[in-house]
Amino acid sequence: MTGIRIALTGNPNVGKTTLFNALTGSRQHVGNWPGVTVEKKTGRIDWNGHAIEVIDLPGTYSLTAYSADEVVARDYIIEEKPDVVVQVVDATNLERNLYLTTQLAELGVPVVIALNMADAAEAGGCAIDRERLSALLAIPVVRTVGTRGEGLDDLLDAAIREVETSPHHEHTVGYGNDAEVMIASIVDVFSADKDLTKRYPLRWLAVRLLEGDENALDKIRDSPAHTGVQALLSGIDPDEYEVAMADRRYEMIAAVLPQVRTAGAGGMNVSEMVDRVVTDRYLGIPIFLALMWGAFELTFAVAAPFVVLIEAGLAWLSATIAGSIEPAWLASLVGDGIIGGVGAVLVFVPNIFILFLILSFLEDTGYLARAAFIMDRLMYAIGLPGKAFIPMLIGFGCNVPGIMAARSIEGEKDRLITILVNPFISCSARLPVYILFAGAFFGAGAGGIVFLLYILGIAAAIGSAKLFRHTILPGESSPFIMEMPPYRLPTVWTSLLHTWSRGAMYVRKAGTIILVGALVVWCLASLPFGVEYGSSASLAGALGHLLEPLVAPLGFDWKVAVALLFGFVAKEVVVGSLGVLYGTGEGGDALSTALLADPGLSAATALALMVFVLLYTPCLATIATIRKETGSWRWAGFSVAYGLVLAWLLALIVGHIAPFFLGGA
Amino acid sequence: MDPVCPLALLSAGTSAIVAEVRAGKEMRLRLAGMGLCPGARVRAQCVDRGSLIVSVGDARYALSRGIATKILVGELEAA
Repeated sequence: MTGIRIALTGNPNVGKTTLFNALTGSRQHVGNWPGVTVEKKTGRIDWNGHAIEVIDLPGTYSLTAYSADEVVARDYIIEEKPDVVVQVVDATNLERNLYLTTQLAELGVPVVIALNMADAAEAGGCAIDRERLSALLAIPVVRTVGTRGEGLDDLLDAAIREVETSPHHEHTVGYGNDAEVMIASIVDVFSADKDLTKRYPLRWLAVRLLEGDENALDKIRDSPAHTGVQALLSGIDPDEYEVAMADRRYEMIAAVLPQVRTAGAGGMNVSEMVDRVVTDRYLGIPIFLALMWGAFELTFAVAAPFVVLIEAGLAWLSATIAGSIEPAWLASLVGDGIIGGVGAVLVFVPNIFILFLILSFLEDTGYLARAAFIMDRLMYAIGLPGKAFIPMLIGFGCNVPGIMAARSIEGEKDRLITILVNPFISCSARLPVYILFAGAFFGAGAGGIVFLLYILGIAAAIGSAKLFRHTILPGESSPFIMEMPPYRLPTVWTSLLHTWSRGAMYVRKAGTIILVGALVVWCLASLPFGVEYGSSASLAGALGHLLEPLVAPLGFDWKVAVALLFGFVAKEVVVGSLGVLYGTGEGGDALSTALLADPGLSAATALALMVFVLLYTPCLATIATIRKETGSWRWAGFSVAYGLVLAWLLALIVGHIAPFFLGGA
Repeated sequence: MDPVCPLALLSAGTSAIVAEVRAGKEMRLRLAGMGLCPGARVRAQCVDRGSLIVSVGDARYALSRGIATKILVGELEAA
């Protein structure tokens, strides 16, 4: 048996990715807001002797693609022609979900409906007669609960059955006399074009053309039937057809619904009551800020004992190694280089995990989608759609997925601005730098300082967006429309899994890129042979002294200059490099003490340094992503240069005014 | 049905029927996919200076004032 390609499609936030993960055993990121999946993902399974390829597509409301991620979904279904399309349908929101079903059915591809979140619908007292629905639509309907992996076997069986039973009946909506006559004449003209007939279902194409779909017009541009169809279309008003046809689809759905669904008692709507409070005109933003501030405070408080444990472990390891490895240079490589560099970063694992856990929890409850709504007014004022807030929120974890998430933004200029300001959103890689310096120099005030840095990052992003909007990328921002997912109480398991998948990336980075960075710094700090380790006579010292004049106005010495240079690879490397350069292999606490003891570093300098790290050049991975998403090195280069200039200026200002607030440097 | 006012002017708790969507073609087709097309019954849940969260069927959407002023509604029914 040859392979079968199953495409998962459906409206945003109906649980496609959860189902995809359950089917294929992968661990793709799942969120409780629309638009988490921005590109298609593929997984493979063997099922009863069939090699099955499952493709998870970004969510879409209709086959009229509007944003970049919807284009991915539409083009895959139309152009790549999967063997069967599984539409994941949110059982609690049948009406709107079935609109896409009517369009899929029109395409003539075999469709199977996965009636997902069936448990939630049933809990709400809403019973859906699947057999009746299946009979009315002539589409198999399978009950699934993606979160618990229920119904997966039935779904795969049904999908394979659909592929094997051909031909498929095209169950379509009847559009009424006028439209049907037009459709018939368009199909008639097209049927002369054998090439087009092979590529697209003609009825579907005719319907799209009547609706005035630009994309459909592009598809027929080269057809010999083009002029004939244009003549037919010139006599009609597509706007009128568009309204009438949408009407017909919803009428068809309205006729089906009462036959298959017994609605539960409406009752009090908790979501709505919560929404009233958290999106309140006056309370909304204070609640959001309080939640964020609480998240950072809690992160520091809960992580502290774990950090102590890890430090103790590293100290023990370091001492054991120092006493048991010969020759001395090898002990230095392992102790100063590897444990000093990687260990300095690993110490922050508890902080990272706890912050991720809190953010995952907020995200999974559905609150973050409300935050986007609250922020929309603010975002609009700076010339960005509220949706741009989501890439920013994702950017708090890592800028790479943040920049990729900009794909769900409709306008090209909006998208570019969102991408360019994303690096200012403080990603988790910068957190270790803050924790180290804020912890060392600000003690009990550390949580507040870190919170302020995050706010500064947001302010820098907002200010830059406004600047870009008024200079290089002028124009209006596109309107904000976003689905508000229902509030859900996340299970401990999903939140932990979510946290793990993000946190593991951090740990992996520590084992790869940061390890390499630490080793390079160790080599530079140890060479030429015989030099005192990490002294200014070493290669690292020479490099640092070369760069020192550039950062001297900010109060940074050569060690910081070297650390910042290597931070270009990944920002955690700043901490690792300092760990190596200060020769404090035992981990974070020793490094803090060493930093405090350095007469060249004051609280004001530390603050300036944190500001610089927040804003300067995004890491290599981010630059590569900007290049990929904008399709040009020009924008990537611009981002690097702009970040450096902004970081330098703000660090200079902060370094000079901070002493007044801190009571003298 | 005659349009009475833009969606943006509804107060919280009011429901109405969409009469007309005065937006570009692509935007209209997209809104239709979301259930926001002429004939749809919408209800304003939370309102903040023209931006609002509306429910349409079982779905809830947040709309900015910009787009909410382009959706005209009629047959208002206060809560």
